[in-house]
This record gives sequence, structure tokens and C-alpha cells, in this order.
Amino acid sequence: MPARLLLQLSWRNIWRHRRRNAILLCAIAVAVAGVMLLNTMMRGMQEDMMNTAIGNLTGHAKILEPSYLDDPGIERGFAVDDGWQDDLPNNVLGWASRIRIPAVVMSERETRGIQLVGVDPAKESISFLGDAEVEGERLSGPDDARILVGALLAEALDTATGRRLVLVTQGADGRTREAGFRIAGVYRAEIAGLERAFLFTGLSALQRLLDTDKVTEISIRIDGEDLDTSTIEGLAGRFENLAVVSWRQLERQAAAMVEVSGVSIYILFVIVMGALVFGLVNTLVTAVMERLRELGMLRAIGMRPRAVVAQVVVESSAIMAIGVAAGLALARAVFAFVADGIDLTAFDDSLASFGMRPTFVPVFDIRDAVLIAVLSLALSVLASFYPARRAVKIKPLEALRR
Amino acid sequence: MVVECRNVSRTYDDDTVPVHALQGVDFQLGAGEWVSLAGPSGSGKSTLLHVIGGLDQPTDGSVVVDGVEVTTLTAAELSDLRLNKIGFVFQAYNLIPVLSALENVEFILQLQGVDRAERRSRSQQALQSMGIADLENRRPGEMSGGQQQRVAIARAIVTEPVLLLADEPSANLDTSTTRELLEVLQSLNRERGVTILTATHDPMVMGYTTRQVNLRDGSVV
Repeated sequence: MPARLLLQLSWRNIWRHRRRNAILLCAIAVAVAGVMLLNTMMRGMQEDMMNTAIGNLTGHAKILEPSYLDDPGIERGFAVDDGWQDDLPNNVLGWASRIRIPAVVMSERETRGIQLVGVDPAKESISFLGDAEVEGERLSGPDDARILVGALLAEALDTATGRRLVLVTQGADGRTREAGFRIAGVYRAEIAGLERAFLFTGLSALQRLLDTDKVTEISIRIDGEDLDTSTIEGLAGRFENLAVVSWRQLERQAAAMVEVSGVSIYILFVIVMGALVFGLVNTLVTAVMERLRELGMLRAIGMRPRAVVAQVVVESSAIMAIGVAAGLALARAVFAFVADGIDLTAFDDSLASFGMRPTFVPVFDIRDAVLIAVLSLALSVLASFYPARRAVKIKPLEALRR
Repeated sequence: MVVECRNVSRTYDDDTVPVHALQGVDFQLGAGEWVSLAGPSGSGKSTLLHVIGGLDQPTDGSVVVDGVEVTTLTAAELSDLRLNKIGFVFQAYNLIPVLSALENVEFILQLQGVDRAERRSRSQQALQSMGIADLENRRPGEMSGGQQQRVAIARAIVTEPVLLLADEPSANLDTSTTRELLEVLQSLNRERGVTILTATHDPMVMGYTTRQVNLRDGSVV
């Protein structure tokens, strides 16, 4: 049976029961729009968690001494030769070498355990520090021996810009180092936990204090989601006895949540569309039973059984295709209202525990829209086989006698 | 012979008691004939028509249409036989309600894969020969019973079948419309040599046919 004829008949039949099909189309459109909008939320959450995990000094990957993660300290540092970064892949946005070691910070009133991080400020555009709002001054360079303190830590220590703090940590020789640092500025981060955890100073200044020329990590940021295997192998080849560890290994909880939310999208889709398919089957069965005599006549005048199946399948697919298109258009229209972000400041603390920022930005991923469209059509084809089978199971003569 | 039935039986086992709709029927239909199968309700005339048209399978016997043994064909092969060799006219017209008169006639040519220009021209000619060329854009719901039956006949003859089967074609028509319809069938039979087999209990229809075969209790009498 020619495709054009199939489409013509299907299109006319859709218009035959306008009200019933309009209701069905609305149900499909609302379900698809709902699934797609929830997808934009989930994708936004996923991206937020991922960006937070990558931006909080982790990067997409880190080069470090393998045992550093179990027992971080300057004794697990490594020297960086000049030119190591030559021939990095084009998708590398930046890199930063750092010293990151545990330390104790003391003010006149309070003492806290923190992560002391020696940085080259010019390289930190790849981490949250590059964009962080600073009250006071930023670090001027790797030789700057002042410190940047997080706002919440400054509050806990009851201190402020311009005052001094004492830092105690362990030097490269294993002996304790203690020194006073003036606060250059107080930074604010979107994730509250970062403000409490990290205290920054110049990399070279910290190396002098610790009496070393080593660093404990090199963080790499790329344009993309993950470093590919060949890049990781290439980097590993440049640093003997060091490991190249991806953000998924460093931020296991965030990586797991990203994975879970990715799977949740599909589970949600299957549940919603699955329920919808029952409605579609019901409508199609009704439509087929109503037209049984007509379908019997079509077979009586020479339409092959498989052409009857094709007609029912094309009809249901056409309804689904229109419904899906309307649903995706509706989702895009609603998305336009929230594309700039949803203010969730009231839930700031709760969100921070999930590694999310207080402004939630949904993400409309065109690949999700395509996937929803393809899966919906596949479901409608599967769903229409049952009524189509019923249509051809009855002999033409029986159908004509009804 | 266009149709040759040998010892055809059809038994229905719908209830506890088997119903013998046809019992050892022998029947032949030559090219260019117009035969009416006559008999009271339940005599088996429609069953014989359906068996010849491949819409029903005989329990026993042989049915040959234009040299093809119908009883051994698959469902798809039967569809092809009906599409290419047999034209059907039903009591209830059975047009496709969402298509216009012209599209209904064209439909069967589309199934045959005839190209657009040719099928349009042949369909218009078929409607013209039925005297309803001016109704080509009307849908079945916008036409009278007689007009719909003419469209049904146009659809049945547009493929130039070797056999036209008409099951109670006048059942839903008034006397004058029936006469007009029978004259159309007569001209098809006489002028174009279309072989027609009609199942009817309408004496007016029988009066137009060239031969009458009477059935009673599933047997030719």
C-alpha cells in the first residue's frame, strides 16, 4: 500500500473523531511537556552538581601522588618540570598547580582545622576562586604571602580583612611550621562549605614556608565532561609514579548523584509515557472496534492484512507525533520563562549539602527532546500493534456482518 | 469459465448444531454472463457468493476463479485476487466515509499501484459511466443511497475485474433507484462484457439477469 495513501487515510481518520483525538492529543502534549520540563530540571541539577564538583578546586582531572588522597601532606608532593604542559589537547581550558595541605588556623579567639591552599592566582580562573566575590584585596601573585579567608570561616574566627591569623602546618621535613599571615581579603563562594574549608595563599610563599619546591596537585579543566582515555594516558606518561584521577573518582558522591539523576530521567519518562500508552491503546482499540466493518470492507476489496496493520500503526503514530511536537513546543515555551534561573536562596543550606547553587538554572537539552520524541513514537508503534492485530484477526466477512 | 465450483460445502459450527449453509454445490459461470443466485433467506446464496469471492472458505470442494484455485490461497493471496480479479458491490455500499466519491474509486487503483494521472482519469471515467461525474467531490455522507451504490459500482469496475460480485445490491434502494442501478449493470454486462454474479431475492433484479440459479437449503435446485 502506497505510503501517501496510508498517510492520507490516517490524516482524514484523525479528523473524523476530532473531540476524542483532541483530548488524547492534549493528554500526550501535557505528559510530554511535563516529562521534558522535569528533564530540564534534572539536567540543570545534574549540571549544577557537576560544575560545583569540578569548580571546587577539583577540575576535570588532577595529577597527584597516588597515596596523597589517603594521607594528604606536603611529603606527598612532586616537582613540576618546565614544559610539562606542552602539547596539551586543544580542549584543555586551563590548569593550575597547587599545594593543598591540612592546617590549623588560629585567631585571637578561635581555632579551626582547614585546608591551606597555595595558588598562583592567575591560574585559578579554572576554579571557583577565579569568580569569587572578594571583600578587600585578591592575592596579587604566587609570591603574595597574605591570605584569602572564606566569609563563613572569617565569621567563625571572628576576624576580618587586614587582621592577622596564625597558621600551623607540617613542613617538607616533617617538622611543624607556624607563621602569621595578614588577611588580604574575605571571599564569598556560592557553596557555603567552600568558605569554611579553604584558606588561600600564594603558591611560592607557601613553598618557602614549607621549605620545598614541590606541589601536591595539578588540576586540569577541559571544555567537555570528561577527559578522554588517550589524554589521561598521555598525561600519565609525562609524570612518572603519579596518577591522573578524574573528577568522578575525586568527587564520588557528586558523580554518583549525576549518574542517578541521569537514570532517573529515563525511569520517569518510562513511567509517565507508559501510563499514557495505556490511554492510547484504549483509544485505538475503541477506534478500531468502531471501524471494524470499514476495515473488513477494505480487506474485502483487496487491502492486504499488513496494510491494515500499517494503517492503524500510522494513525496512532501520527497522533503521537502531533502530541509530542505540541508537548515539546509547550515545554520550550514554559522553559523560556525560567531559562535565566530559579531563585532558591530560601533553601540555600539544604541545596549546599547536595552541592547545588542557590540559583537553579534548568537546562533544555535538545538531545533529550529528540530522545523523548523517538521513544514516544517507538512506544506508540508498539502500543498500536495490539489494536492493529485485533483489526486483522477478524475475518473480512465477520467484520462486514457487524 | 470465469467461475467453476465443484462439490462445494460450507458448514458453520457456531452453535451446538452444525449449520450446512452449502451442500455439495456445483456451479459454473461463463464469461460475459450475468447470473443471479436466487432463493429465500438462509438458502446459501450469499455464502456461495462469499466463497467465490474468497471472503469465506468452503469446508469442502473446489472453487476456481479465472483459473485460480481459491481454496488453497493465503490471506494475502486472497487479498490480491480480490484486488485484481474481483469487483465487489455490497448491500450497504461500504464506501470509505472520509474519502470523496472520486477518492473512493481511486483508492482501489492506488492499492494496485496505478500512477496518479492514470488513476485519476480512469476513476473519473468510471464515475461518468455511472452518471455521477458531478458528485466526485462529495463524501458518502453527502450522497443518497442510490448515488452511493453507483460509486460502489464505479469502484468495483474501475479495475476492470474479470468478475463483478453483487450481494443484494438493491436491498437498501427504492424501486426507481433499483431500476436505474440495474440498467447500469445491464449496460456494463452487455456493452463491456462484464461477468456479473448477483445474490438476490428481489424479482426485479432476477428479471434483468441472463440466467438464474436457485438455491434452497444450501443446494442448487
